[in-house]
Amino acid sequence: MTELQQPLSQLQETSGPLLDAQKMQFWMDKAVAWDQVGSAQTLKDISRHLRGLTDFLQQVLAQISNTGSTAETMKELPCLGQILGRLCWNPYVTVGDTNRGLLLQCLLGLYSENPSNALERKANQWIRKVLCRLATEDDDPAAQILMKSTGVPPKEYHLRVLKKRCLFPSLTVLKLLLSFALCCNVLGQSFTDALSEDFLDALNSTDLRLAVDETALVSVWYHSLPRLEEAVLDLLEFATSTGSAPQNLEQHISKTQLPKACAQHCSMFLVVNDIFRSILKQAEGNLAVHSVIQTFTRCFLKELEELQPRTAASLKAFFPQSPTSLLVPLLTLPSEMPQEAWKNHLEWLTASLQRLAEQEEEEEGDSQSSRGHHNVFETWFLLVQCSHWVQVAGELLVTSEAEPCSNLLWLMTFYYHPTNRWHCRAALLEEAKEAWRHLRTLSSASARPLPTDHLQPLITLLSLKPQRPSAPLLTLSLMVYCAIFCQLPNSQSVEIFQTVAHAAGLLHEAACVLNSLQHRLNEGSCSSRDTVHVRIKKLQSTVTHMQAGVNPHTPHNR
Amino acid sequence: MEAVLKNVASAVELLAVAAHSDAVSQWDEQTLSRAFQWAGYCEHVYTRFHTNSAIRRVVEKQLQHTNATLRDAFADYNEVSFMDLPRCEHLLLRALLNNPQLPISTIRILFGLKNGTSRRYHYQEVTGLCSHLIQCKSACEVLCPFSGLSTVSAEAEVQGEMLMKRLGALLSQGSDPSQAEHFLHSSLPLCEGAARHSCLVITAALLTASDSAGQTSSQSFLLDWLQKEHGVLQHMGSTLPSAVLKDLAGAHRKFRDAYFGTLKKWASEMEYSLSDGEWVPACTAAAPALSFPKMVEHFSDLFDACPSLRRNAEDELLHLKILDGDFDARGLSVWGDILSEVKK
Repeated sequence: MTELQQPLSQLQETSGPLLDAQKMQFWMDKAVAWDQVGSAQTLKDISRHLRGLTDFLQQVLAQISNTGSTAETMKELPCLGQILGRLCWNPYVTVGDTNRGLLLQCLLGLYSENPSNALERKANQWIRKVLCRLATEDDDPAAQILMKSTGVPPKEYHLRVLKKRCLFPSLTVLKLLLSFALCCNVLGQSFTDALSEDFLDALNSTDLRLAVDETALVSVWYHSLPRLEEAVLDLLEFATSTGSAPQNLEQHISKTQLPKACAQHCSMFLVVNDIFRSILKQAEGNLAVHSVIQTFTRCFLKELEELQPRTAASLKAFFPQSPTSLLVPLLTLPSEMPQEAWKNHLEWLTASLQRLAEQEEEEEGDSQSSRGHHNVFETWFLLVQCSHWVQVAGELLVTSEAEPCSNLLWLMTFYYHPTNRWHCRAALLEEAKEAWRHLRTLSSASARPLPTDHLQPLITLLSLKPQRPSAPLLTLSLMVYCAIFCQLPNSQSVEIFQTVAHAAGLLHEAACVLNSLQHRLNEGSCSSRDTVHVRIKKLQSTVTHMQAGVNPHTPHNR
Repeated sequence: MEAVLKNVASAVELLAVAAHSDAVSQWDEQTLSRAFQWAGYCEHVYTRFHTNSAIRRVVEKQLQHTNATLRDAFADYNEVSFMDLPRCEHLLLRALLNNPQLPISTIRILFGLKNGTSRRYHYQEVTGLCSHLIQCKSACEVLCPFSGLSTVSAEAEVQGEMLMKRLGALLSQGSDPSQAEHFLHSSLPLCEGAARHSCLVITAALLTASDSAGQTSSQSFLLDWLQKEHGVLQHMGSTLPSAVLKDLAGAHRKFRDAYFGTLKKWASEMEYSLSDGEWVPACTAAAPALSFPKMVEHFSDLFDACPSLRRNAEDELLHLKILDGDFDARGLSVWGDILSEVKK
């Protein structure tokens, strides 16, 4: 076995804590107890220990692979044969993909290609027999007679019985069953149409979703579009209904299994994005939604990476509407290229985006060209999905010494205000520049007290003005970036932030910006200086304190 | 047609090789996959031709011929019949797994996990085949204890459907009805232990609403067969809960009449035991037998389910009571006692 060639440290990593006699006895007792399947007590016990069983089987498998021979393994783990032998026949263990796979791998792992003694020869015989019986034998002799006389093969028979069963289980029973990682992908497409609505709803309900085997979930979503949509909407609701954007957003999104499902099935990713698009159109300026989309895309890309190497062709399938030339450049994470290259990359990106936006304006004329609008929207949507570059732009604005940063400002303006209704983009850009000037001055002034003649205009900029187009969100994020990355001491930057944010009342939005920046920093895709982390934490706690003291219904809250 | 026969012969030979020959040790993934494709071909042949009795006979002849050759070549050879064709994949799998010469690498392929996203294996139909089978069976068992909503289990329903479908196919071929009867006999054994199961299957078959003329005639044939087979009816009467019997009687007039006949036969085999003070089945009576209270309950249920039967039946019972001597005292005529119990 080639695993023997691995360095010892790696071996120890994979095997984890060694299996001792106590553990073996524990699982032996469990295997015996579970043979008496049928009582509700047994079922409860099994469901409680299923995940622990997975860990145990993984350890067994690691030990089998690491140990040179089956005879050795059997000596080290004395009741192994009995445990595996009993678990094989327990349908609650074999119904789920993970445990069944591990169990089979353990059995196959114990097979010796070149048996060197009687024990190994006997083990080989036993393994063959067990596998044969598992796959071909049937407990029910009467059913077998009928199968033979009517010419129905066992697989077809079991599938038909399964279809029937799923038509009428009661809801309470379902909830108990679902804790057993019941896999729906046993049944094909044509079958799912017949699945009872109750069954599908139970499988999809939020409290159970997190406990169900992912293959089952993916299968339900794949075959039942409304349920996929429901799951996405639940996620959006979770992310946008809490007081401020949740700090463990990424973890939550991963747990829903949605990114994984989308990585496996292109069609699902397209559906999810359609939902994101329509939500974006309805909820303009909702930074929490932006956060969700960005984090979701990041999780999705990670899952995709696991499944297949990233090629332009494969990406195109997942992003058919996005401009091809921008796909790879935008999807590439900042952490995947050297920091020195960021500025040039952003310049190129901004130039491309500007070209695209201008094309739309040219085509506008009297009648609004819908294709042009469509292209700009899709480009902007891709930018929202890849907001990491916008964040990098914000950071570079503050940290770069060189002055000409109009294209970085253009990028940020475009991000927050993609539409150019009544040619407002130029005006918005002017406003952004003005805000930037104030911020620059504030952040470079080291003297106390704060230059109020710059603070007040900033606060004015942050408030919504009905008469002319304004960019409060853009100004706010510029301010947040400034507060984080400027050279001022902590206390001063916090003070500026506090004053302005409080006066403008944009606490929720500030929290969103902070949280999403923190996510990216945790990935290490930004210059992860400790000072930056500290600064962000300080600002976050400031916001929390302010939110606690402020009336929840401030004018700028969603 | 000749090509089909040649192919079937080759497939059967392949099965024999899979089961008995050490040639399987040389089979690679591609060979394995092709073997299963052959099995699939046989299933296809069955599906296309099983309702055509002429072609069926020709195929059976070919099978006989091939079986004979293979019997000479391999000791322990298991013959393949026409009805084995639709289960060819299962037979191939069983043959392979029982062959000690099958290399462990092939077993690994068969038991590999079928990963829907993995495009690594070209031979999707054989990879993880066994793992998938185990999953199906386990899923059925997992849901098994919870089918309590209906008295007839999902298994019985599916088996009832299988029975009716095959029966329908046999009847539509216009073949000898004795063939269909033989099919029913072999599918529904009444020996110890199997009897209850067969009753459940018949019940399921009869209680499924008929949605086609073919299905109705199958059910009719089954009921005629039941009328002839008192043994089956007696088993049904003694093992099935009365609610189910009521449903059956309500759904099918033939059943109602046949069942009534069975009850009468049971009643006629009763003797009055002076020591017990009760009617009991005579020792010569065919098993299974009912106790007197149970039998009265069955009569009542039958009349409740079929009010139209009640009056005629009561008249008939009265007539039988009169033939017995028209006594009113208890213990002298089983008919009289039944009548008086039922009328309460």
